[in-house]
Amino acid sequence: MRYAYYPGCVAKGMAHELFDSTSEVAKRLGTELMELTAASCCGAGAQNEGNPLLNVVLNTRTLAQAENQNLDVLTICSTCQGVMCQVKKQLKEDSRLFSRTNEALDKIGLQYKGKVRVKHLLWVLIEDYGLKKLESQVTKPLTSFKVAPFYGCYILRPPEALEFEDHEKPRSLEDVIKALGAESLHFDGETKCCGFPILFFQRKTAFEMSSQYLNNAKQKGADFMVTPCPLCHISLETYQKKAQKQARIETNLPVVHFSQLIGLALGIKPEKLGFSKHMVSMLKVLRGL
Amino acid sequence: MFRILRFNPEIDKKPHFDTFKVEIKGRMTVLDALENIKREQDASLTFRRSCRSGICGSCVMRINSLTKLACKTWATVEAPKHSAILVEPMENMPRIRDLVVDMGEFWREIDRGKPWLIMDETQAADLTRENLLTKEQLQVSSKLADFIMCGACFSDCISRVFDKNFNGPASLAKIHRFVADPRDKDPLGRVGRLVEIGLWSCTHCYFCWSQCPRDVRPMAAISTLRVLSVAKGDASEGARHVKAFMDSICRTGLLNEATLYLKTMRLDVLKDLDLMIRLALKGKAPSPFRLPIPRIDEVRLMYRLMEGRVEK
Repeated sequence: MRYAYYPGCVAKGMAHELFDSTSEVAKRLGTELMELTAASCCGAGAQNEGNPLLNVVLNTRTLAQAENQNLDVLTICSTCQGVMCQVKKQLKEDSRLFSRTNEALDKIGLQYKGKVRVKHLLWVLIEDYGLKKLESQVTKPLTSFKVAPFYGCYILRPPEALEFEDHEKPRSLEDVIKALGAESLHFDGETKCCGFPILFFQRKTAFEMSSQYLNNAKQKGADFMVTPCPLCHISLETYQKKAQKQARIETNLPVVHFSQLIGLALGIKPEKLGFSKHMVSMLKVLRGL
Repeated sequence: MFRILRFNPEIDKKPHFDTFKVEIKGRMTVLDALENIKREQDASLTFRRSCRSGICGSCVMRINSLTKLACKTWATVEAPKHSAILVEPMENMPRIRDLVVDMGEFWREIDRGKPWLIMDETQAADLTRENLLTKEQLQVSSKLADFIMCGACFSDCISRVFDKNFNGPASLAKIHRFVADPRDKDPLGRVGRLVEIGLWSCTHCYFCWSQCPRDVRPMAAISTLRVLSVAKGDASEGARHVKAFMDSICRTGLLNEATLYLKTMRLDVLKDLDLMIRLALKGKAPSPFRLPIPRIDEVRLMYRLMEGRVEK
């Protein structure tokens, strides 16, 4: 399996452990990741609120680069996934926008035809790799763990742009968690917003959101939470201590990236998965392996 | 099987669930099932309904934890997905009885946005003359005029749960309807007042988009209002966040997390000093230095080409 790899800015910045663990997992699964090094940031919804047309053009530039290599795009960030899928949908529905975008891209020698697909690693493992095959690769089944899946927003909504699973009752994370031998929990908040998009300017609200969902998962007995989005990870993990201080709730719930979860079950050494960079201690989880 | 949240303030101290068995068959909607329960099992079950055609918005309620019109929701689709169909009243509004809520808060927020056309004096003086919109102009406002004021977006708005200053998606989309109307006298004034009524409180959760029974997509309207607010010189933290994103991408092609922090939060960044130190000790503090991506000139050229192309 070969993909045009779009790790996103946060995986190469504040959540570098996501980038590192994905590289390890891809190696183990025999997946070739051809990084789109000349691709620009997806804009995470903010670029769309600065200049929507530019947002379309720059994201299409990324898609066209993958298309030139005849490869689908693989992302490890739900937000990048959502933004690029929305741009694809806009271009599909609006022929005038499609032409205007290609007119601009023509000036840098690129053309977008609309053939490329954008797939999160979560989708790739289910659709392309297959859960049975993944299950067969598990060397350290996570049987002693109860895992809380946190989908967040961009990988599910708007549903007409994502089209991977039922946004009202998603089960992709649950299916993977079960394939790795762990128990998957349901809790109130698993498909809600982690608060990240307003973390820098509506902090009180953002903290209330994250601490409530973390607490809900904890109350259901979760040993740890998993998220396919590094922005959710920042809100739920990096800022967890600050959020719980404001909410006066002690959660101390470890939150892992999706690739780290896979890596654990594949028997990749924890130090290669970047757990030492976590702000909430993973010690209890790693001891339980 | 239906699990319905019941609450009668004259009897109950707090809400509780009652379970009802209904044979789900054919093209049965959740509203059909509720009427069946009321008719054959419990006449005290209270809910609003009227047109049964997705027009009036009366029968809006939470069905399996998402707000929907009961008359447009197939029980035959919901039932196989869940062990029991969970029916609850809307969120973000006080409960009156069973599935009926007091929508006063929703209407007050709508009013806060002044959802009416403010005409200039010449138009107001001569009401005998029609003031028609072009087909293109009509396209924007007619989509936003499709609202049936059911409150589904308000009910599922996560920000509203925690931030009562946020006037909610319906109100903002309604404002956009008039900002986009060329006959309105005060579009810039409307945009200027947005920050105080919560323009930057929306988190992009997209529930208002996915749950709107008329596909109005309030979040898209909110994003457009943000574009206009930024273009008008909005200096709030939310607008600074957008500008910092744009600057960073233009400079390097990538997001620079450090400058995003600094430019958005300014001195408030000191609140995170402790966290930044801990992040630095773990080797993951955001660095202000990021090298530009290969072919950054292409990104900058796109910036120049698209500059100033902001539409209502």
